[in-house]
Amino acid sequence: MGRRKAKTMGQTIAEKLLSRHNLAGTDACAGDLVEARIDGAMCHYHADEPMIEMAAQAGFKDGLPRVWDPDRVFVLMDHHQPTLSQALADVNARVRKEVERLGIKCFHDSEPGIAHQMMADYGLMRPGELVVGNDSHCISYGALNVGGTGMTRADMFYALLFGELWFQVPESIKITLTGHKPTYPIAKDIVLHLAGLYGEDVAASMSIEYTGPLVPDLSIDSRMCLAAHGVELGAKFAMFPADAVTHDFLRTRTDRAFESVAADPDATYAREITVDIDEMPFVVAAPHQFGNIVPIDQVAGTAIQQAQIGSCANGRFEDIEIAARVLRGRKVARGVRFLISPASQSVYLQCLRAGLIEQLIEAGAQVITPGCGICQPRVGFLSDGEVCITATTRNFKGRKGSPNAEIYLGGPLTVAAAALAGEIVNPKEVLRGL
Amino acid sequence: MGFDLNSAIRGRVWKFGDSIETDAINPYYRYPTMAELKLHTMEAYRPEFPQQVRPGDVLVAGRNFGCGSSRPGLVLREVGIAAIVVESVSRLFLRNNIARALPIFMAPGVTDIVDDGDSLQIDYQSATVRNPATGRHVALRKFPPLIEQIFAAGGLPEFAFQRYQREQGPVPPSR
Repeated sequence: MGRRKAKTMGQTIAEKLLSRHNLAGTDACAGDLVEARIDGAMCHYHADEPMIEMAAQAGFKDGLPRVWDPDRVFVLMDHHQPTLSQALADVNARVRKEVERLGIKCFHDSEPGIAHQMMADYGLMRPGELVVGNDSHCISYGALNVGGTGMTRADMFYALLFGELWFQVPESIKITLTGHKPTYPIAKDIVLHLAGLYGEDVAASMSIEYTGPLVPDLSIDSRMCLAAHGVELGAKFAMFPADAVTHDFLRTRTDRAFESVAADPDATYAREITVDIDEMPFVVAAPHQFGNIVPIDQVAGTAIQQAQIGSCANGRFEDIEIAARVLRGRKVARGVRFLISPASQSVYLQCLRAGLIEQLIEAGAQVITPGCGICQPRVGFLSDGEVCITATTRNFKGRKGSPNAEIYLGGPLTVAAAALAGEIVNPKEVLRGL
Repeated sequence: MGFDLNSAIRGRVWKFGDSIETDAINPYYRYPTMAELKLHTMEAYRPEFPQQVRPGDVLVAGRNFGCGSSRPGLVLREVGIAAIVVESVSRLFLRNNIARALPIFMAPGVTDIVDDGDSLQIDYQSATVRNPATGRHVALRKFPPLIEQIFAAGGLPEFAFQRYQREQGPVPPSR
């Protein structure tokens, strides 16, 4: 199966992380299949109908008989809070009962927000840990040097019972970021640029390691965007180093000890890519795939009816701050619905205290309750023929309702500039005036 | 119910491109019940698929099949797809297929040997997928033993049940 490396060879972050958690106690090399102990499991609606049916089908007629460690299971009802239908309210009521029955202590059921952001806000994970969840964007935890990755519902079933899962140890891809500290949140633009140059499966099943002189200048907000979008590049992990920025973020959020994980200098990479952000053009993902990247000037002038900033990719302070900066003292273009959804209540409060929410509302933007709805056909549906530009995670056909609507993905600056102009524009001009 | 990877499969091919996302395979936000999903799966790419797919058909796709959200492709089994054969598959879709024992095979080069509507033959034991009309064939990737065991158990929840019983003794009958 895996190529066997001599013990003396250096390890990547993924190899080190999975070696540390390998139940067999041996060194894990890229390509190996290991069974690993996990440190945490995030479920956003783990006990809904299919999970209960899954248990019954498997033989557990009364549902899951236990969770392996009630202190390491985090249930956050992010997709369905507040509930937008009777059916979802009924599901939430069942989850509540299950959580009580299983003795799970960390349960956020009456607070809107995106689970991934709340995992960070509440310090539920630490560098060097292996934390899984039943959502593809759990990969965002790599921003904090946490081995975070998405799992399927059935994987979660196994993980909840035993606290273990199988992993194929991934090959690693090193992405070196260079350039001057940007004056706007640039993470989304970097990922779109990568998808355009190398394809949306450039990191298929691999572990991305972000490194380089720009990294110390990237906020946790930016790192979470880059890490979350690891999955849009196909990755299993998307890891950042644990540096001063990380420690500063965690200081007030966790008092538990941790052991961060770094690659050895002689680790082996399947691929190495360098991105110089000073040379990076503005691009967007055109409908209907993440990898359908075009230079912004090619689509400039496209009229829009909706603009959005939010989600686990772009619902953070700096994403909302740039929108407020672009719109301060100005108005959203007539006929454009500009939806902004902070990623969590903490982020919302942070924006509120900074005066951003007031500025955005005065400019004509709508502020949506924190949560996943803005990135799905749940809040802000599109009609046939409508065009939306959005700083959220995905632009698949029908993602926001009508399959005959068009969704462009852009960075938050690009989106805010479009909301102001009423059409897609190169944000260079706007940026010059900020 | 376990899935025997070694059972030979032969079926009519539905051929799709690269980066087919789970929103298209399983658009459950718009169609929350299985009955509705069966009428809409894959229609984003092939509007005729839900009406014309027949039990025993084989789905062939390019790179990065099942990218996007973690959503299982159970609906494809429900409409009768006997196997999925792809150039490459997104890791979450692959995990979903393993965990629910839905036959999926990675066979780089497969899109070069079949066209839409052709017949395709899958032989896991000899690690080959073949177009019987032309004789052209490519190798499929075998799974590690643990994954083969999960398929044989009928999926990961079933595999978990077997392990739990081994470790804890029989699970008592329902209250």
